[in-house]
Amino acid sequence: MTSLPPPTATNATHAAHAKGATKIYGTGDSEVRALDDVDVAFQRGKFTAIMGPSGSGKSTLMHCIAGLDSLTSGSVSIGDTDLSKLSDKALTQLRRDKVGFIFQAFNLIPTLTAYENIVLPLTLGKKKGDETWINRVIDTISLRDRLEHRPSELSGGQQQRVAIARALASQPDIIFADEPTGNLDSKTGTEVLTFMRRAVTDLGQTIVMVTHDATAASYADRIVFLADGKVAGEMFSPTAQKVLDYLKHLGE
Amino acid sequence: MLRLALKMTWARKGRLVLTSLAIILGTGFLSGTFVFRDTINQTFDRLFSDVFRDVDAYVRSTAFIELDFGGEQRAGTPISALETVRNVEGVVSATGDIQGFARVIGKDGKPLGSEGGGPPTFGSIASDDSAGLWSVVEGRLPNGPKDVMLDRATADNGEFIIGDTVRVIAARGAREFTLVGIASYGDISSPGGATFALFDQPTASEFLLEPGFVDAFLIEGDDSVSDEVLAQRIDAALADELKLETLTGAEITAEVQGQIKDVLNIFSTFLIVFSYIALGIGSFVIYNVFSITAAQRQRENALLRAIGASRRQVSRALLVEGTLMGVVGSLLGFAVGIGLSQLLNALLKATGFEVPTAGLAIKPGSLVNTMIAGVSVTVFAAWLPARRAGRVPPLAALRDTALDTAGNLKRRVIIGLVLIALGVVGLIAASNDAPIQVLGLGVLGVFAGILVLGPAIARPVALALGKPVAALRGVSGTMARQNAARNPKRTSRTAAPVLLGVALVTAFTALAASIRSEIRDTFGAAFSGDFALTVDSQGFGGIPLSVTDQIAGLDGVAQATGVGFTSVRIVDPNDTTVDPASMMRGNFVQTINPATIVGLFDLGVTEGDLSSLGRDGLFVDAGRATERGWQVGTRLQVIRIDGAVIDAEVRGLVSGETSFANYVASREMFADAPTPIFDSFVYIKAAQGAALDEVEARIAAISSDAGIGTLQSKEGFIDAQAAQVNQVLGLIYGLLGLSIIIAIVGIVITLLLSVFERRREIGLLRAVGMTRAQVRTTVRWESVITSLLGAVTGVVLGIVMGVVVVAALADDGDGITFRLPVTGTLVIVVISFILGVVAAIYPAWRATKVNVVEAISTT
Repeated sequence: MTSLPPPTATNATHAAHAKGATKIYGTGDSEVRALDDVDVAFQRGKFTAIMGPSGSGKSTLMHCIAGLDSLTSGSVSIGDTDLSKLSDKALTQLRRDKVGFIFQAFNLIPTLTAYENIVLPLTLGKKKGDETWINRVIDTISLRDRLEHRPSELSGGQQQRVAIARALASQPDIIFADEPTGNLDSKTGTEVLTFMRRAVTDLGQTIVMVTHDATAASYADRIVFLADGKVAGEMFSPTAQKVLDYLKHLGE
Repeated sequence: MLRLALKMTWARKGRLVLTSLAIILGTGFLSGTFVFRDTINQTFDRLFSDVFRDVDAYVRSTAFIELDFGGEQRAGTPISALETVRNVEGVVSATGDIQGFARVIGKDGKPLGSEGGGPPTFGSIASDDSAGLWSVVEGRLPNGPKDVMLDRATADNGEFIIGDTVRVIAARGAREFTLVGIASYGDISSPGGATFALFDQPTASEFLLEPGFVDAFLIEGDDSVSDEVLAQRIDAALADELKLETLTGAEITAEVQGQIKDVLNIFSTFLIVFSYIALGIGSFVIYNVFSITAAQRQRENALLRAIGASRRQVSRALLVEGTLMGVVGSLLGFAVGIGLSQLLNALLKATGFEVPTAGLAIKPGSLVNTMIAGVSVTVFAAWLPARRAGRVPPLAALRDTALDTAGNLKRRVIIGLVLIALGVVGLIAASNDAPIQVLGLGVLGVFAGILVLGPAIARPVALALGKPVAALRGVSGTMARQNAARNPKRTSRTAAPVLLGVALVTAFTALAASIRSEIRDTFGAAFSGDFALTVDSQGFGGIPLSVTDQIAGLDGVAQATGVGFTSVRIVDPNDTTVDPASMMRGNFVQTINPATIVGLFDLGVTEGDLSSLGRDGLFVDAGRATERGWQVGTRLQVIRIDGAVIDAEVRGLVSGETSFANYVASREMFADAPTPIFDSFVYIKAAQGAALDEVEARIAAISSDAGIGTLQSKEGFIDAQAAQVNQVLGLIYGLLGLSIIIAIVGIVITLLLSVFERRREIGLLRAVGMTRAQVRTTVRWESVITSLLGAVTGVVLGIVMGVVVVAALADDGDGITFRLPVTGTLVIVVISFILGVVAAIYPAWRATKVNVVEAISTT
């Protein structure tokens, strides 16, 4: 496996990138380097998976790039925007307008209907949104008949599909998904991943997904492997078998 | 976003009502007092408009004195002027009116109507003049010195029928009359539960007031001219030297209505102050509920933050919820308040104070005030939790555990103690006559300090209190102890309302105990007689002086002396700084008989000799004298109610501990006054060797013959004086009880929310074999520990406040020392224990209803 090419590409093709990203928890003896000088870039219109064993820093990397957490040193950018220079207010605005999120669970506000959850980022920004687009998203993930239901009335797979739709609704620059199938059985997991794949292929969105599941990762265009807070390698056009083989090799 | 916030609130409407409970209770009592006040005011407004319906003009004396507790006392109007009024053009009818003290004795020998606090007992005039207030419903009008007429209710209560002999006591003693008629007042049988004995004018004047005088003239015109013109004509006809004034019917109606309102307003202001205290304590509960729900919704709020909600949007969503709760709670509270006002009305009726109901008075102003108070308190209480919710890091959406940190404990302790210290300084300053705002700030400082300090002490204190519980109740007890200590912030916020209520109760109890023992000591030392005859007439009527003299002349009585009170105006001719507007302000004067008081009751004379009092002498409270720069020999003017001016001299000073007024005068000063004075206390010493029980029986016979007074032994008298404090204390307890109820509701709500939050944990415990009873035990003891946490800290704080206030009072020279109310304190702690158990009943039951399978499978 070759090492990662330096992030020389322009921002026109990169939805987000990190440069020298370092995150240290604790001090002295208890110091933990969750991220150690990571350089990585995510291409626009592509589905990227981040993989690695527990404690490899994959979630931390995602949180930092998404502006949920801050770096100890280095920088991350979404599009042209350097996140380290942003105030909380600007970060909030960026999350609202430029970033979509899909979490493992607790994605939805229980008191709002599916539709209200989908358009929540738009409502928060006092925007109407592109109705044609939202309709297309809803049709793509086949939720038309569930729009007026509360999250508690939806299955786990349906809830995650609503979460995908919400992430897509504001046509963000990039969508981050944190183990989106972690809580689902394999059948509904497949369903959710298919929808994510279609969001990239059919709707031209950019998705970055953190996962430790080889099958889930095989839906991506490219996989970035992390180990001990460092980029350990990457793989294009993965299949589940190739990923498993690689992980075995990584573990040795 | 506003729409979303409303929707999110609506989706939790069940909890909305639950958490609104505190607001509902707080505003309920507030609006209840508003509606009650308005209803009574409206009732009296209508009553007096009705009563004075036929009165077009009203003549009275211009000489009057404003009384200390509202109202006024006026000089009499000479009946001789009535003829002049009757001859004025346009006057159809004119009659004299008297509202004097008279008490009807029932057939069992006991006076009708209660003594003291109850509705007044009047003597008045009944006449056939159309301007009169009374109409005959049975029999005929009284005519002559032997006739009396009673109001319907009094006649019914006393089971009197026409022809019966009726005994009546008034200023001139007790007399027997024949009942010749029964009357009604306007359309009602007995206004306000008062009793009325009605006579013809000469009898009433002589028996109730002064021969030849009435209180006022009631005049009816022929409507040929306006009331104003009629009043002017009458005024012009009356000679200036009579010192009379004429009011129109509308004016006197408004004035009487206003006087009643003044009296009622004192009472309702008292109620309203305590309603605001209850609402304030309710705001703690609301604050706690918001804090808990915000913590429980942390993930939700963090998710909102992660997907792009700004801090302000998250905070605002909670504030919207708070506002909505405030609005809903206050509206429901207002409805509850209307019910409460009816309850208050029913209570009044039960105590014999019949208020003719003229329908509920629900004014828009009451609703507006309730809404403003309720909503602003709620929004204020929601403010901090809402801000905190906005500060939730978006990453918290990805974590499992809820964060509720207690922050820097050391800093809490320091800031808390500083705030409490500042508050105590404020309290001390306030009890040294600093403005009332300082008192408010002091209380606020103490409470804010407690709030800051709370989380720091909640854990160790809860653990200490829980130790015996853990030892006695095994696993359940241990878990209850840990649960109470595991979230110190929440526990302390839950205990805070209990703490405040208990602190106030303890402080008042301690203060009362100190005052009581002080009264006991002073009266015990000052009163050297064997018996006391007392009347609690609150400045209206009392024991006729002739009764006092009769007792003094009894066989076996060595000495008897009477002490009474009246109002005069005291003017210092050399003091030019006094505001002329306050010149009408009356001063309470204690009237004594200097010839008999010495050796029987010690007034605490520090200078001078009481025997020098005479007709024109005054003894003044030493404190008052220093204040005004007076000393023995200072000349003052005493202006009596009848307008007589007496040039008086300060002949001595009293310490003020055993005198009930700032001035002491001899009864001689009032001997020639047209309005008689009464005694309120008669102190009696039995002759040496006389059998006490025989003497007592003889005094009792006179007292019962006169139909007035309560005869007490020395001990009984001292107890009764000390017990007066209890009346006020009882009222304060009752009103603070409401705050305690709100505090308990706070515990119930908190426990419910905790049970809801821990349902997974409870489910797990049930799954591994905890019985329902054990679950209940856990919840119950957590509740008891929380309640006791509030009670114990509240008792400590209350005692500190009591010590401070008593010390400050002692500094003022009241010679009072702090007494710890041991029994009272223990009772408070026991009650808190019981309330803790009661508060846990419903939450504990809910905890046992947790579905095990669902609880452990939810993610």
